[in-house]
Amino acid sequence: MEEKKKVRQLNPLKFRAAIFDNMLSEDVGYSNYSYWRSTLRTFFKNKAVLALVVLIVLIILMGFIYPIVSSEDPNKASLLPLTWNQRPSWEHWFGTDTLGRDIWTRAWYGVRNSFLLAFCIALSDVGIGMIVGAIWGYNKKLDPIMIEIYNVITNVPSTVYLVLLAYIMNTSYLTLFISMASRGWIVEARFFRNRILSIRDSEYNVASRCLGTPMRRIATKNIIPQIISLIIMEAALCIPYSIGNEVFLGFVGVGLPVEAITLGNIVNQGRASFTLHPYQMLLPTIILCIITVAFYVIGNKFADASDPRNHI
Amino acid sequence: MKRFVAMLLTLVMALSLTACGNSGEEEPGDVTQDQTPEEILNNADDIMNRDFEDVYKTYFSSSYASFNYFTTSYATVREIIANCIDGLVEPDIYGVYVPSLAESWTSNEDQTVWTFKIRQGLKWVDHTGAETEYELTAQDFVDGIRYIGDPLNGAYSLRVIRDLISGLYDYYWTLDDIDSGLITDQNREDVVASFDDMVGVRAVDEYTVEYTLESSAPYFLSLIESSMLLLPVEYDYAMELGADFAVDNEHMLYCGAYYVSDFQRDKAITLTANPHYWDKENVTIETVEYQMIPDGTTSLEMFERGEIDYTTVEAEAYLSLQDTEWADNLLPTSHSFSTNYLWLDFAGDNPEFNIFINNENFRKALQYGLNREAVASLREPVDPSRILRNTINAEGAIYDSNGVDYTDYSPLKEIKETDYNQPELARQYMEAAIEELCDEEGNIIGCEAGTVDYLPVCSFDVDGKLPVTICYVGTDDESEIIMAQLFKAMLEESIGAEYIDFQIQAYSGWTYGTVADPLNYDIYFDSLSTGYADPSGLLTRMTTDGAENVGCYEVPEFDALVEKALAADNFEDRLQYFAEAEAYLCEGAYLIPFISSLRGYYMSYSVPYTSPLTLYGNTKYKGTLVMDEPLTIDEYNTLTAAYELERAEALGANG
Amino acid sequence: MGKYILKRTVNSLITVIIVFIVVFMLLRLMPLSGYFPQEVLKETDEATRMSYLRNQGLLDHPLVQLWRFVKNLFHGDLGRSLTVYPQVPITTLLAEKIPVTAAFGFSSMVLGIILGLSLGLLMVRFKDKWGDRLGTGYILAVRAIPNLIYLFFIQVWISKWFGLPMVFYEDQPSSWILPVICLSLSSIAWYALWLRRFMVDEENRDYVKFALVKGLPKKEVWKKHIFKNAIIPLVVYLPSDLLNIIAGSLVIESLYAIPGTGGLLTTAIKSQDNNLVQVIVLMYAVTSVVGVFLGDLLVAAVDPRIKLTEEG
Repeated sequence: MEEKKKVRQLNPLKFRAAIFDNMLSEDVGYSNYSYWRSTLRTFFKNKAVLALVVLIVLIILMGFIYPIVSSEDPNKASLLPLTWNQRPSWEHWFGTDTLGRDIWTRAWYGVRNSFLLAFCIALSDVGIGMIVGAIWGYNKKLDPIMIEIYNVITNVPSTVYLVLLAYIMNTSYLTLFISMASRGWIVEARFFRNRILSIRDSEYNVASRCLGTPMRRIATKNIIPQIISLIIMEAALCIPYSIGNEVFLGFVGVGLPVEAITLGNIVNQGRASFTLHPYQMLLPTIILCIITVAFYVIGNKFADASDPRNHI
Repeated sequence: MKRFVAMLLTLVMALSLTACGNSGEEEPGDVTQDQTPEEILNNADDIMNRDFEDVYKTYFSSSYASFNYFTTSYATVREIIANCIDGLVEPDIYGVYVPSLAESWTSNEDQTVWTFKIRQGLKWVDHTGAETEYELTAQDFVDGIRYIGDPLNGAYSLRVIRDLISGLYDYYWTLDDIDSGLITDQNREDVVASFDDMVGVRAVDEYTVEYTLESSAPYFLSLIESSMLLLPVEYDYAMELGADFAVDNEHMLYCGAYYVSDFQRDKAITLTANPHYWDKENVTIETVEYQMIPDGTTSLEMFERGEIDYTTVEAEAYLSLQDTEWADNLLPTSHSFSTNYLWLDFAGDNPEFNIFINNENFRKALQYGLNREAVASLREPVDPSRILRNTINAEGAIYDSNGVDYTDYSPLKEIKETDYNQPELARQYMEAAIEELCDEEGNIIGCEAGTVDYLPVCSFDVDGKLPVTICYVGTDDESEIIMAQLFKAMLEESIGAEYIDFQIQAYSGWTYGTVADPLNYDIYFDSLSTGYADPSGLLTRMTTDGAENVGCYEVPEFDALVEKALAADNFEDRLQYFAEAEAYLCEGAYLIPFISSLRGYYMSYSVPYTSPLTLYGNTKYKGTLVMDEPLTIDEYNTLTAAYELERAEALGANG
Repeated sequence: MGKYILKRTVNSLITVIIVFIVVFMLLRLMPLSGYFPQEVLKETDEATRMSYLRNQGLLDHPLVQLWRFVKNLFHGDLGRSLTVYPQVPITTLLAEKIPVTAAFGFSSMVLGIILGLSLGLLMVRFKDKWGDRLGTGYILAVRAIPNLIYLFFIQVWISKWFGLPMVFYEDQPSSWILPVICLSLSSIAWYALWLRRFMVDEENRDYVKFALVKGLPKKEVWKKHIFKNAIIPLVVYLPSDLLNIIAGSLVIESLYAIPGTGGLLTTAIKSQDNNLVQVIVLMYAVTSVVGVFLGDLLVAAVDPRIKLTEEG
């Protein structure tokens, strides 16, 4: 606002406001620079990242394909005590659990369910968070109210309302989803609000605005691409976090039905007999670790790759 | 008196026979098999003549706060109190009741009035082990009843005592009605002042206390052993402290073998031998150290490192210890009077289950469909059959005056000996039930589709067709979830998944208030324990309007038999009618008892058979000997065999 | 400055009050039967239970209860625990438990800072070499492996290898080692990660390049400029650790049998010990708000560029 006032006070003979020229504004040094192509190129230049992406795609594919192909019922308990807690063998690659169920089979069902759940949560956290964050960042009057809401939500222990929620609702995927998504959005919103503010007010955007570029153009060309890379990074980090969170919620009593197979559930069940049958934890833990590491690295590297300064 | 000793003799005989038989089966190398009685006794003497430690280190697993023995429901507190506050009588190592705070006792002919002579000159002791000015008198026992008779003090598990001691029931409910405003024409103070006239407990003189009971109670001494509510209290002291009474070790008084010398909440408790104890020459351990270990695996590990002297060994751990240096130290646990049941919900919200549960064939299908041995294998991998139990009251808990076990009374004996693991029979029963309740397309007659509201536990849709939807509710404890999944597998296999759809709900938090009480379940898992030497303890609570009838079944035949038993002229008739009642309930599968709560094995440094044989109450450390090495199974077998011989001799001499 | 502090204090107070009222009212939504352990529920009838609730004042209107609590609060009376530690005064409880947790929290914070900063420095010093990889590996491992698994591993096996006690004993100093290490594992990762990031950021700043070009010794620049500037953003989080110091860790305290505050809130909520819950929530809210506030003041104190004004 202030810049405009100053422009008016300047001597029109010495200074003229430049007329915005659509053609000229496209006329830059790098003629065929495409932000997204460069981002992806930088991203995939790193071989380790490429390997991780392939690995994670394989794991997820396996999680979705195996349950369709396999005829083994992952919940089928055996009545013969001899088949309980078997060590790994050709028949059961990773052994059987306390009730003789095949751990290999259960792990893939777990991958599928956990991943779907985590994906939904990432979507809601980042989606709602971004919209609220944009409004919050855009409207200064909202700021004190939003900060108060943020303070209150982050200060009320989640256990308090989770227990209440558990009282009102079933143990189901929906309950779990609601309880896991109940807090993440405001944290994301604050994060996006800060980022949007800092990008909007960064020097090159201020300069661009002074030169008369319309806000819409700044938003689409300068702010949104940066935000999108942030969105992808946040969503990627959300996934391992929500898989881990499942375990805690089970403890509070808003977990999943007993029959539901998720990585969190499997790890939780194996914990009881961890010292006696460590191999039961092996596969689920490895998969969990790979997912966490992969999304973490992918998220960070993508954030690096999306920084135009790293594009040359 | 003679009859009583005879009864106990048989009781203990029977108990040890089962224990002995079992250990023989499990351990083919039982060292005592080929030995003469002399050799056994000599070997046992060798063990008993070693040097023993004077510290015993054990653990507890859940935190708790209060030592108030009248209100607590925590097992560890009850165990500590059993060692810190003596009752009128206690069992000796053979389970025969011997004088404790009472020097002698008598009862009238029909066992409704019991008189106890109290030891003279005993003083209450504080948490430093110093004597206080308070003397232990008959009045302290009267005041114990006075304390629990006031509803505001919130005594735990009051019902049995309240209904047994004459006048206490009326006293309690009058006070309660005044508190809730139902009675306005009486003054609370006046009612409280009338306690001595109303209630059947009085101090005849300073050292004589007399209990007058509503009905004949030959089991009264076992009730003294098991119930905390008959313990004495220094009333003025407790009243002065009010809400602070027994919140920690400094706010209470002791009169038992130990006092709580150190108390760190959620961490450690130390019991120190009471220097002013009346029987202090028989107190062998100077200090009992409890520490909190929240996790079972940790306790096993800590035992192996010698940091604690006792640990339970669960089935899985038992198997993994087989090839280790500890294999010789695994000892079988001997008995548990607690029984695990499945409760069936007769009044729930699930229309499919409601129609079927009122059909006896369906209930029998459930009863015969359980593979009890498979469930038992979760706890006892070697010999699962030794923890099966088909009856409500435990075997070996109740004997008549001729020494006959209650569970050997006619109709109950057949139940006890039935093999319920018969999947084919289960399926036949189910088909018979379907024949009666469904039309040809598999629609359940008279059942409408709809949504079952068991919130906050769960809610689900039923379609009014086969398969019958069954909602099993258990806690979210890991081992209980595993058991539930086993139930599902075995029932769907024996009865058929096309006939039943078994759904498991694991609910955390207080299950009774949210699950059982509001009938938010179809099948529910629970355990109950025979608390003293009479079937009434459990059976009177299971009548149509009984407190323990959480499934809301209505069985007038059972109620009538219980009434008949309570009105019986002698103890044998009483047991006979109770046995018929219990058999009726089990036969009709109104609830399904299936295994005892016994959990496999343990390892310990303490010598067995050296402390009082507390069958109904909590472990006492008085007399316990602690070795510097863990007990081995050979030593255990030797001591067990020697114990049998000595006991036969001791009780024989008495009889 | 004074005006700023006053305003912040008023704002913080408002947050605390809102949080407390929200929690207080939420707790009153819980069912009345929840006030009784199941053994008690079984043995008592409706009338007895209601008279107990009436005696405890739990049947009064929530606002009346709120007023009574506030009134007692000003007399230093926090009430008595209802279900978890029946009849024990809450002040006694907290006075027993907070020092234990605080001692562990404080030691682990010191350890976390020392090791975390050292690891961070190592990572920057050997950037893209072994030091960096070691640090990244550690950070990833802490994040990826489910914490229950490595905590269990440390308790059972590490304690065996080094002959350390498995649980905490007050009179045995060596029993402190494992719990403190476990408590600091994730904060080490946190400090290392951010110190590295901030130092790398500073390293690329123009003033650093200028200083080096000017001929200042590299060591000097690192010590006086890069490290100092990188550490400032970390300082802001120090007081927030206050909350962690008194709140404790549920899992670690339970594994090592530390009689602290770790599981207190969760247990209290699950057993519906409303008196205890509201006190703990109040305490946590005050601590965390004060923590954030102190953080801002601390940054202003160490960073001459930041001035606390209305703009904040």
